[in-house]
Amino acid sequence: MKTKTKKNSFKIGSLWAGPSALMLLCLSLIPLAMLLLFSFMDGNITNGVFPGWTIENFQKMFSSNVFSKLMAKSLGIGALVTVICILISYPMAWGMAKAAKPHNRSMLMMLIILPFFTSQLLLIYAMMMILQSGGILMTLLGALGITTDGTSILYTPKAVILVLVYEYLPYMVLCLYTSLESIGDNLVQASRVLGAGTFRTFINVVFPMSIPGLLSGILLVMVPVTGSFAESALVGGPNGMMVGSLINSQYNTVLNMGYGASLSCVFLIILSIIMAVVRMLVNLAERRIGGETE
Amino acid sequence: MNKGFYRFLRVWMFLGFAFLYIPILVIIVMSFNGTAYGMFPFQFTMEWYSYLFTKSELLPATMLSLKFSLAVAFTAVIVGTMAAFGMQYMTPGMGKKLNTVLQLPITIPWLVQGVSLLLLLNLLGIGRSYFGMFCGNIICVLPYVVMLVLGRFAMADRTPEAAARLLGAGPLRVFFDVTMPMIVPGILAGGMMAFIVCFNSFCIQYYLAPFGVRTLPVEVFTLIKTGYKADLNALATLMILISLAAIILLNRLGYSGSSLFSTGAKKGNDKL
Repeated sequence: MKTKTKKNSFKIGSLWAGPSALMLLCLSLIPLAMLLLFSFMDGNITNGVFPGWTIENFQKMFSSNVFSKLMAKSLGIGALVTVICILISYPMAWGMAKAAKPHNRSMLMMLIILPFFTSQLLLIYAMMMILQSGGILMTLLGALGITTDGTSILYTPKAVILVLVYEYLPYMVLCLYTSLESIGDNLVQASRVLGAGTFRTFINVVFPMSIPGLLSGILLVMVPVTGSFAESALVGGPNGMMVGSLINSQYNTVLNMGYGASLSCVFLIILSIIMAVVRMLVNLAERRIGGETE
Repeated sequence: MNKGFYRFLRVWMFLGFAFLYIPILVIIVMSFNGTAYGMFPFQFTMEWYSYLFTKSELLPATMLSLKFSLAVAFTAVIVGTMAAFGMQYMTPGMGKKLNTVLQLPITIPWLVQGVSLLLLLNLLGIGRSYFGMFCGNIICVLPYVVMLVLGRFAMADRTPEAAARLLGAGPLRVFFDVTMPMIVPGILAGGMMAFIVCFNSFCIQYYLAPFGVRTLPVEVFTLIKTGYKADLNALATLMILISLAAIILLNRLGYSGSSLFSTGAKKGNDKL
């Protein structure tokens, strides 16, 4: 796309973007397109030799219910984590944008982006330390008599959800903060003066204006959460498998890369469809709510 | 809004930050705890820090990751800055198309990105290798560099360049003497983002690292699978402090929070 010399608007200077465009083509677009091809591959590539074609991968995927079960479970976890993140982070972001003192805002902002700059694995590890039996939280709960000694939610699906919420909460806060911050105080003031209570002001003024941030937050949280496998491998225990774990196992334990490719392909397609639907729904909601305020 | 509601928001915010930071604080405190397995009673020690820098298996992995991430960030900065520069000459339509493609590596799950690249490399007969790992990481950090540098271009006043050209400066001279200083904060911020994202990118390195080679994320993954490691606490504490320093530095460069992640590059930066 970068070298359309036939257009007279082409400037020689845009060639500077050539290396990047080439990299994107070779390292992102071509591998993704090839993934579709590889999903019809029978087994593994050995020494650069392609093993041949098959449609068995897809038959296997749709005949056994392992994939569909894990896919549904991952989507459920993705949706649940996203909803929990929204519920926790909406008031947080609102507080940061409007209720916090302006000179504190920059510090709060730094505290929110610190987790981005910290390794994902360290965040998981930090949560594991809190949750481990005999660790801080469990000792405390044990001392209060809430749990019996030596039990822990670590290595259960609950722990996976907790860790994912912990990891992705800052993304949601950041996205919502950006939208909420741009709402003018006058607007909220006007709504109040005209007699709307806190709740009506929220529904009619604040929420519609935060929808763009909400949308990018949902996309930023739901996509990686649904595709995660490190969390379930580390804190999920035997019942913590997600669709990411299934794909991962094709590359690290079972070694059936063709099947792995078809799994990732279908996974990516389902994810894209869901994201498109989410985008559409949110846009619809935006128009609906926007219409009511007239 | 009424006072009571704002008080509620502040309390909620406090609780949210407590949720985010208690685990991190526990790690920091435990890195000074002499009692095994992070249990009580707390006994102050610096033992884990000295262990980390002498005997720990985390040390070689950290050094490898540092060197590797530096190489990736350096390359990404050069290629990414060139791209942002080139995009200034593109028609809006073409720039938009490139921008969309640029978002791809950071919007699709890295699991899929890593897997698809591994398959392609296998087909080419390269397979897991330093080259492959380098390719995989660079494509994931390139978007950040381009976005941040583009943001600077969007903010910059372009008339001095025209003036320099009129005064007879060659294109290279214009670039290094006039354009460059305007976009340096973006380049620095992009480089730092690239370094940090690469340093922490577990997924890509997990799939593309050569057999037997363990970068820090891969090493940490295998370590915490087996449970508690006191020297990991010490390393985590140091990494958190370094991240904090990086954030403060970025803040000084005029980048705070959302501007680092705003993928539209429409906002430039929003100083607080």
